[in-house]
Amino acid sequence: MKKNFLGSLLKYSMLVIILLFLLFPIYWVLLTSFKSNMEAYKFPPTFIPESPTISSYINLFTKNNAFFVYYKNNFIVSGFTSFFTTILAILAGYALSRFKFRWNAWILAVLLTSQMFPVVSRMISLYDLMGDMGLINTMPGLILALIADMLPFAVMLMTSFFQSIPRAVEEAAYIDGASRMGILYRIVTPLVKPGMVAVVLYAFLMTWDDYLHAATLIQNDALRTLSVGVALRYLGELSYDWSLINTISIIGTIPMVLLFFSFQKYMIKGLVAGAVKG
Amino acid sequence: MVSTARKIKKPLLKRSTGDKLFSGILVLPAVVITFIFIIVPIIDSVIKSFLDFRVKNIISNQPGTWNNFENYIKLFQNQKLTGAVINTFSFVIFVVALQFIFGMILALILNSNIKGARFLRSIMMTPWVVPTIISALIWMWIFQPQYGLMKYLVQVFTGGTVADFAILNNPSTALLGIGIAALWKQVPLTTLLLLAGLQNVPDDMLEAARIDGAGKVRTFFSIVLPYMKSVINVSMTMAIISNFKQFPLIWTMTGGGPDNSTTTLAILSYREAFVSNNMGSGAAVTTVWMLLMLVVVFVYNKLMGETEVD
Repeated sequence: MKKNFLGSLLKYSMLVIILLFLLFPIYWVLLTSFKSNMEAYKFPPTFIPESPTISSYINLFTKNNAFFVYYKNNFIVSGFTSFFTTILAILAGYALSRFKFRWNAWILAVLLTSQMFPVVSRMISLYDLMGDMGLINTMPGLILALIADMLPFAVMLMTSFFQSIPRAVEEAAYIDGASRMGILYRIVTPLVKPGMVAVVLYAFLMTWDDYLHAATLIQNDALRTLSVGVALRYLGELSYDWSLINTISIIGTIPMVLLFFSFQKYMIKGLVAGAVKG
Repeated sequence: MVSTARKIKKPLLKRSTGDKLFSGILVLPAVVITFIFIIVPIIDSVIKSFLDFRVKNIISNQPGTWNNFENYIKLFQNQKLTGAVINTFSFVIFVVALQFIFGMILALILNSNIKGARFLRSIMMTPWVVPTIISALIWMWIFQPQYGLMKYLVQVFTGGTVADFAILNNPSTALLGIGIAALWKQVPLTTLLLLAGLQNVPDDMLEAARIDGAGKVRTFFSIVLPYMKSVINVSMTMAIISNFKQFPLIWTMTGGGPDNSTTTLAILSYREAFVSNNMGSGAAVTTVWMLLMLVVVFVYNKLMGETEVD
């Protein structure tokens, strides 16, 4: 009995410590976003706001609204990237899971290794290459580079989802005279909807997080995405407006939290499938 | 059902040419994009690492010129590269090891039948969805040297003896500070994957071990771990790669300072290429970096492949 008690004491205290480490910082940021700068710069800090205020939110929406240009740009970039990534991943994933050709192993090996290489090494020559193609400082250029960045994982994920669909359905449709494209479009694709949702979300989340591609390929402030825009505009060398920065942190995270929690079933399934089978 | 499926499989040969064409067309776009935007740039950057190639070459559209390994020689001579390699490895080892330990502990706890495990599993994922740059901001605020929470906590726990704790401003602790932020963001995903692995351990094996009188620790090491080997392998390989590549977190939190104490290979290559505008030198850093990464992943998989735990 005594051993059991100690065991669960240890278990619950570990749980509390780890969860505090993971969740308290979020509370802290949320808290600071509702403090005035006066209160935020108090030491020792207050753990419950003395005079809660939404002034930094008002400030963000009215005076510092350059932020929302980055926000909108990021929605456009992440939206297009995840849309095209998913379509390409469906096509390639289907081909790789259904037709066994010698090139499949090569394609998978190339995709797998291409994930390992540092982004900076690509950016050095993409900067040059995109310049030649007239794609530097344009959203299509950034989107193309990001699609390429997302594809390896997306294709492997889709492949593993297609592999879990029995072939018998397709064979029957083929005998009935359906075309290959028709089979893929009308019969198989609807069966891998969970996989599609997982890939869309994964690509959206990961491109929302992108910093390096946008930092090197975009120099025009009006085209910047969230990460780079925030880093360049709000992180001055000398003065930090911490209430504003914490407000930005909250507003910048909300879409991701909403997306994740509305679709977490698919997300978790996708992540686990990608890691356990891939 | 089985017999009809067998029968249908035979005509497959006849349509093999059509299949080949169809399959080729389907994979083509993905292959072309990967080729143009990943493979070509990587090869090109390896070539550029042997050239004198700067931003002015891009502007005036002139090809780089061969410079007798000067990019590499310079990097090794002024100790920049050695420092960056040491920083990168310390960072990766620290973060990956703790990530595994915390992730495993949390996964084990969530897998034991505690109340609200499902709820906890979803809320503990929150740091993972926070964009990297924002996690950097969150931890910079906590570590803030004058009004930060960390300064306050350290003051309280040391009874006021350490009054000015500024983790990111001190060369000997800055990397640790970034490591904490990296852990915060990455522990959730590791936990999720390890938890999935734990749920794959067959119950009857655990039951059998219990009947045989094996203790919890023994069961964990001789049954649970071996069953989870592939999940552990995948999640740790992912962790090694992503920490090797970590850029925005370090760049935002310290920019590689103070005194180069947080300059990893990612920071060094970016700074050489896009701040000093010397693309050739930056490419030399990434080339060394790619080689190191291949070696590390290879060695890791070799080690994990050979230590059979059963």
